[in-house]
Amino acid sequence: MKKQIFCRGVTAAAIIACFAGFSAAQAQETYKIGYITDLSGPLAGSYTPTWEGFELYIKALNDRGGINGKKVDIVLDDDGLKADRAVAAAKKQTERDQVLGIFGLSLSSTQGAVYAEMRKAGVPVVTTFSGIGDALPPAQPFSYSTGVVFEVAGDAIGELIQKIKKGGKVVGMTFDSVGGRAGIAFNQKSVEKAGGTWDQVLFPVTTTDFTPFAQEVAAKKPDIVVGHYGSGQNLGVIPALRRSGYNGPYVVASYGVTEDTVRQAAERAGSGENIYYVTRYSSSFDNNPSVAEVAAAQKKYGTSKPFSSMHVTGWALGKLAEAALKGCGWPCTREQLDKTIQSLKVDIGGLSGGPIEMSATDHYGPSYWRMYIWDAKANKLEPQSDWLKKGSQGYK
Amino acid sequence: MQAEGHPSACVSKRPLPVEFVATVAILTCTYALLAAGIVILYKAGRVVNFAHGELAIVGGYVFYSSGLMAGGSLWFAILGAVVFSVVMGGFIYATMMRRVVGEPFYVAILITVGIAIVLKSAIIVIWRAEQVTINIGVAPAVRLAGGATLSYMDLASIIMTITFFIALYFFFTFTRLGVQFRGTAENPLLASQRGVNVNLVLSLAWIIAVLAATLSGVFYGGRAFLSTESVTIGLAGLTAALVGGLDSLRGAVAGAFVVALAQYLTVRLIDPVLSEALPFLILLVVMSIRPWGLFGTVEELDRV
Repeated sequence: MKKQIFCRGVTAAAIIACFAGFSAAQAQETYKIGYITDLSGPLAGSYTPTWEGFELYIKALNDRGGINGKKVDIVLDDDGLKADRAVAAAKKQTERDQVLGIFGLSLSSTQGAVYAEMRKAGVPVVTTFSGIGDALPPAQPFSYSTGVVFEVAGDAIGELIQKIKKGGKVVGMTFDSVGGRAGIAFNQKSVEKAGGTWDQVLFPVTTTDFTPFAQEVAAKKPDIVVGHYGSGQNLGVIPALRRSGYNGPYVVASYGVTEDTVRQAAERAGSGENIYYVTRYSSSFDNNPSVAEVAAAQKKYGTSKPFSSMHVTGWALGKLAEAALKGCGWPCTREQLDKTIQSLKVDIGGLSGGPIEMSATDHYGPSYWRMYIWDAKANKLEPQSDWLKKGSQGYK
Repeated sequence: MQAEGHPSACVSKRPLPVEFVATVAILTCTYALLAAGIVILYKAGRVVNFAHGELAIVGGYVFYSSGLMAGGSLWFAILGAVVFSVVMGGFIYATMMRRVVGEPFYVAILITVGIAIVLKSAIIVIWRAEQVTINIGVAPAVRLAGGATLSYMDLASIIMTITFFIALYFFFTFTRLGVQFRGTAENPLLASQRGVNVNLVLSLAWIIAVLAATLSGVFYGGRAFLSTESVTIGLAGLTAALVGGLDSLRGAVAGAFVVALAQYLTVRLIDPVLSEALPFLILLVVMSIRPWGLFGTVEELDRV
């Protein structure tokens, strides 16, 4: 009996050892990185295409042979737009999955908690398409962003909309969130700096019927309305504004707003006139080789969402991930990865107006912004400005 | 630049009361339909349905998908929504609620909470939490003074809500089944002893309630959008039902009007950010003064 138990124990130990060895070998063979975003919550429609763009890039990269001969393995988790779930996912990815760094993240309200937790763990986090001020200089350790940091976006939008009407009355709309408030605060500063006047309407995050809010905006008699929120809100706000009698310029601040959303909103509004779109990354309608490359990958691998600038945004993050892992070498550690990101200058071609640049104190770098207008007849976005370069200093 | 030179003319002067009346009327219709479903279920089986918002939004999604599958056919979308209401209402009663008849009231409440969670998950699994809009009849139909417009969908929501309540009135007053329904609501045991098919009545209550919820979900999807977040309209419907009185259809309309008016005035006169909180404040006030609601029956109150 004792012998039998001993044999079983040895067999079990051998099996465990085999699996452990196999896992270790697996872990050593790939660069393992984490990605957390909202795939099932209220802003899933905005965050999913960015994830898909990132995934497309990594798929194409792996098909080319990976980095330094190693494939890139992504551990994906859904935070449902909840900070506690995002933190739990980040802890799981760092402790159990042993990822080198975390990419993506969802709404501003989830980012602060993840950044803070990962700073303690010494894990670099790079957010995309929306970001909070932690990455701006003087940057917090391990906290990076290649996306839309609301303070910078608000400032850039305020400057770009002067091309629509200089010094007019602008009404900013946003939902009551950290990022939304930061966006309109800096939008207000740049509008007032340009000689314009400012007013604003905030609404609860969970709002889905925007009619009373749109009527409040229309009653303020604005020259321009700027919407600082995601796809769903634009889908509701634009038709509601038109129903309320406001037919003037409406500017979509592209925080995860796809071109398809603009098309749908325009259809529902009964007119696509006077809809503008400001983005950090190129529109999917842009005719340049870099965007064409993303479109080709989308065609090859397929995505659940129509091709959009959000895929372009995710693709750009993929480029940064590749450059960071390549620079990190093999084997790569979190500390090395963090150090590498701090000195990156990634050429992203025509995906934006310039490269993504980071430094030891600036984890965001200069960013480039462009305004488009919706061409209702051609059903596409047409550029209305050149790329506007914004530095990252002076926002804290 | 398209807007150069004429932006100040973008908003024309219009009298506030016209759009104020229109918006409050449309919101009232949405909430009244929801509240009516909640009231019918409470009257029939003393069930407070916490899944009503989820039923409304899933009904809206079914309407959307049915129409989409048939190449945008309105009739197919309506058929899909009606089939959903009948099947879902019948299913909930037959498989869950029937088994808890006679059990303490909180058992049924807990089941509705479970149904709400399952339905919300269904939105994530089946529709991938996609934010969708129902684009049928969204073109402007009526131009109000000053440039604001009402769509065909808006008009349909008002007409259909009025029709729904008139139909309910005739059903309860003049049909044999309606009278049996009222009898069951008064005293299910006695009704059963007098030969009323209580199961038929209660399953019908669920079907009518889900139908009303689906109607409001469809109108809501035409005016705003459907998403996992949109299920919160169920809370507005529940608030309306509680304010009006949980066993009064007349109260459902009155409660819906109070909630809609409070939301609108909060946005326009107080602070838009508070628009979702104020109806609950009204609920607290009404509940503390008249716990049975504005038009509800004074009866022994159960406390959870």
